[in-house]
Order: sequence, then structure tokens, then C-alpha cells
Amino acid sequence: MGLRNATWTNNTRLRTLITDALFLLPAFVVFAVFFAYPVISSFYFSLTKWDGINPELKFIGLANFQKLMGDRHFWTALRNTFRYAILVTVIQNVLGLILALAVTSKVYRGFRVLFLVPPLLSSIAIGSIWSYMYAPNGAVNSLLTLAGLEGLAQDWLGNPRLALYSLVVANIWKWTGMAMIIYLAGIQAIPKTIHEAASIDGVDVWQRFRHVTFPLIAPAFTINVVLSMIGSLKVFDIIYIMTQGGPGRATESITTYIFSRAFEANKFGYGTAIAVVMFAIILALSLIQLHFLTRREVRA
Amino acid sequence: MSVKAQLLASRLASALTVALWALFVVIPLAIMVMAAIKSPAEMAVNPFSWPQAFQWQTFQKAWEEAALARGIRNSLLLTSISLLFLVLFGASAAYPIARRTRWAPVFYFFLAGIMVPFQLAMLPLYRLMKLFSLINTYQGVIFIYVAVSLPMVIFLYSGFIKGINSELEDAALVDGAGPFRMFWTIIFPLLKPVTSTVIIMNIMSLWNDFFIALLFLPKKEMRTLQLSIFSFKGQYNSKLNLIMAAVILSILPMVIVFLALQKQFVQGIAGGAVKG
Repeated sequence: MGLRNATWTNNTRLRTLITDALFLLPAFVVFAVFFAYPVISSFYFSLTKWDGINPELKFIGLANFQKLMGDRHFWTALRNTFRYAILVTVIQNVLGLILALAVTSKVYRGFRVLFLVPPLLSSIAIGSIWSYMYAPNGAVNSLLTLAGLEGLAQDWLGNPRLALYSLVVANIWKWTGMAMIIYLAGIQAIPKTIHEAASIDGVDVWQRFRHVTFPLIAPAFTINVVLSMIGSLKVFDIIYIMTQGGPGRATESITTYIFSRAFEANKFGYGTAIAVVMFAIILALSLIQLHFLTRREVRA
Repeated sequence: MSVKAQLLASRLASALTVALWALFVVIPLAIMVMAAIKSPAEMAVNPFSWPQAFQWQTFQKAWEEAALARGIRNSLLLTSISLLFLVLFGASAAYPIARRTRWAPVFYFFLAGIMVPFQLAMLPLYRLMKLFSLINTYQGVIFIYVAVSLPMVIFLYSGFIKGINSELEDAALVDGAGPFRMFWTIIFPLLKPVTSTVIIMNIMSLWNDFFIALLFLPKKEMRTLQLSIFSFKGQYNSKLNLIMAAVILSILPMVIVFLALQKQFVQGIAGGAVKG
């Protein structure tokens, strides 16, 4: 009897193991083959000379990384990407938070919907709209002329000193509504009684934001900062669509540089090495941010 | 300043902020519509003037010349099949992960995918796709879409399943239901809130995807909606009205779905982000 019981439980255990594995299998196979394997093998490919056409690879050790250190265009791309990411992260979060506070009242429900329209639009739609906005005879310059400010009219994407900032504005136009809605969800999750208690205590508006609202929306703050930073460090679409990294290299980002090294210069090994560096940067920055921001969450 | 005066001031500041941002959001959208409706000559004179004649035929011309019907059909196919697999594969993989701790290593394996940018996988993936002859095939791109989005989907599903009491499924198993039937008929219907979050989070990134389609679907007949507009824009660079008409037609499906499902969208975006 005892023996039969033991084999019975062994059988069910084995059966659970097998059914579990069957539940996991489709996701595991697709993820392993089409994401995990390419990611892991990229570390090897970054150590090779590989032209993307010839299946033969030549192992060259750290030569790609050495070359990278002296590659002026790589450093330009890195500097542009950081400048872009910092501006987008700061401005988008400040504006998103201000907007979320502004639309908290139900009166503005219709406006919340309106502000969520730009995030729905594709990069190619954003690129087409803003390319026309910024064109020398486009809408921004017409607006300036109408306002009597012809002197400020510019070639917004053609001027190497302005092009990157013009792209930042287009990015902010697109994504701020998304940041707003995440902050708004955080604000709405704050129990009403806390606000009532604060208003009975005669706490002024700024103090209430500083000591009640802001600490309580810390999780929304964390997620918004991390999402906007990672998203903008990877920026590709609107640059490729609007400026192709130009004029000169004024808007070259890490991703557009990887793309052009691989698909235009046929330097796939070198492109992969840049991607490895990019991954290291994103990983390090995400971990640092998460460390500081979640510590703030706990304290609050 | 008294608290009452401050409240009034903050209310005014809110109204002003909302009005200014609304203006900033609306102006480019209005200009897009104007540029499509007016003739390019009229647009060049003054982009803000009311159209003298509404040129509706521009939309028909853009629809035909940008081959938007084909683009929409291709995008619809890719988006819907990828979503279907994401939900099926994601929910079923999340189940054992949520119920038995022995699968924790597998969970971390998936989870690591959230931290890794697609750019790191991109070039080796290109090699792999070439090797399997999957470039310019829908199945190849669907595999990539599913693989890239699965980590987040599994994360959301497993978190939700953990919150469901397992008594129900134990009872069903004792009653002799097989584990697969039990999962799809009893557990899966309970996952509706996450399923809608998953669909909404991914429908936007899949429908609007540019990068992956650019890399792996370069062939003309295979073009997604986004790539159709992109190549159209390259070809007709000077014909502003046609480009804007094509852009408007391309964003309409998404905007209509959004307006119809506003509440779900807001919950999906906020829910996905807060849990993520």
C-alpha cells in the first residue's frame, strides 16, 4: 500500500512537471531562439570581423572595442544621445507631472483624451508632421512671421546647432501625454482622506504637493523616469525619418550609428560592438536610477 | 496668501496650463489636416488660412498611390496574429511560473529580456533570419514581435495569476478535468483585465512598429502600413498634401480604436506602467 502510494505521488509529480513544461514550451522556444540566443551570441560577434554577407567570421579579439575608443563619430553619437536623453527625460517628466496635476479635476476629462492622441501616432506620422512644421517654408516659420518675428525664422532641421533640439521638441510633443497619464494614475491612487486631512490642517498648496502628493506618487515617478530615459537612449525612428543623423553628424544617435555601420558600411561586427557598449550604458544607468528612486519610494 | 486664495490661484494655473498644452497639441494636428485639404500652392501662401476649396480627392489619390489598402491589410495581419500568440503563449507560460517556485529560474530568464535593448539582438538576429530564410516573411517578423514583447507579458500575467486563489483549479483537477482544459476554461477567463492590458500595451507598439519592419520586411509587397507611408514620403517628397492625406488615413484606425475604448486604454497604459 505504502509503495503504491509512493509511485502514485511520483507519477503525479512527474505528470505536473511535464504539463508545466508543455505550458512553458512555446513561449520559451520563441523567446530563446529569437531573442535570448541573438543577445547572448552578440557578445561573441562583437569580437569578430563580420561583413553581414559572408557567413564566415574572423575572430579578432577586442580589436573592435579598441577601434571604438578612437572613433570620433562614435563619441559624437554618444554625446548626442546623452544630450537628447537628458533633455527628454527632464522636460517630459516636469511637463508630464505639471499636466497631471492640472487635469486632476474631472472638468478636464476631454483634455486628457486629447493629450493622449500624440502618443498613439506612429513615428512616421510624427516625422511627417514635424518635418513640415520645421521646413524652411513650413508652419513654425509662418507662425513666427505672422507674429512679426521673421528674424527668428530658421531652418530648424538644417541648422546643425538646432537640429537635435528640434527633435527633442517633437519627441516631447509625442510622449508627454503618456507620462501625464501615468502620473495621473499615481495621483488618483492617493486616498481622498489624506488630502482632506491636509486641507483641514491648513497646509498650503505647495507644502501639500511637496510633502503629500509628490512622495506618494514616487512609484509613478520611478517608472516614468526610467521609461523615458531608456526610450530616449535607444532613439532611432524619428531621427532616421527626419534627419538621417544629419546635418553632418549633428543628430547621429547610437542606434542610427549602429544601423549605418552595419547596413551601409557592412561592418556588422563593429556595429555589434557598439551595441554591446550601448547595452552596458543602459544597464548601468537603469540600475543606478532604480537604486536611488526605489530607495526614495521606501523612505516616503 | 490665504489657503483659499492659493486654491483659487492653483485652479487658474491649472486652466492656463491645460489651455496652453492643448494649443501646443492641436496646432500640429490642425496643420496636418489643413495641409491635406488645401492645395500645396494655397498652403505655401498661408498654412493657417481657411481652405478656399476642400480638396477631398487628395485622400482618394493618396489611398491609391501609397497602396494604403495593402499596407493596412499587412499591418492588420501582423498585429493581430502577433497579439494572439502573445496572449496564448504569455498566459500559458505564466501559469506554472506563478504556481510553482521551481520555475523561478525560467522566470528570471524571461525577465532579463525586459532590461535588454532590442539593438543588442538586432545584428545577430539579422544573421539568424537570413540563415533560416525568414527575411521578407510574415512568420519571421511575427516570431520577433512575440519574442521581444513576451517578457513584459509574462511578467504581467504571472503577477496577476499569483493573486488568484488556486482552490478553483484544484477542484477542477480533482473532478477529472485535464490541466490544459482546466487552464483555458477556468483560469484564462479570469485573466481578462490583464489580457486587455496586454493587448492595449502591445497593439500600439506593434501597429506603429517601424524599426523591425524596416529591417526584416523590405520587400514592396510585404510592406506594413508604416513602411508604405515611409516609402511614399520618400517618393513624393514635394507633394505635401498627398503625404499628409496618407498620414491622416494611416492614423485613423488607431485613433478610432482609442476613442471607442478610451477607458480601457487609460487603464491599460497606467496599469501596465505601474505594475512594470
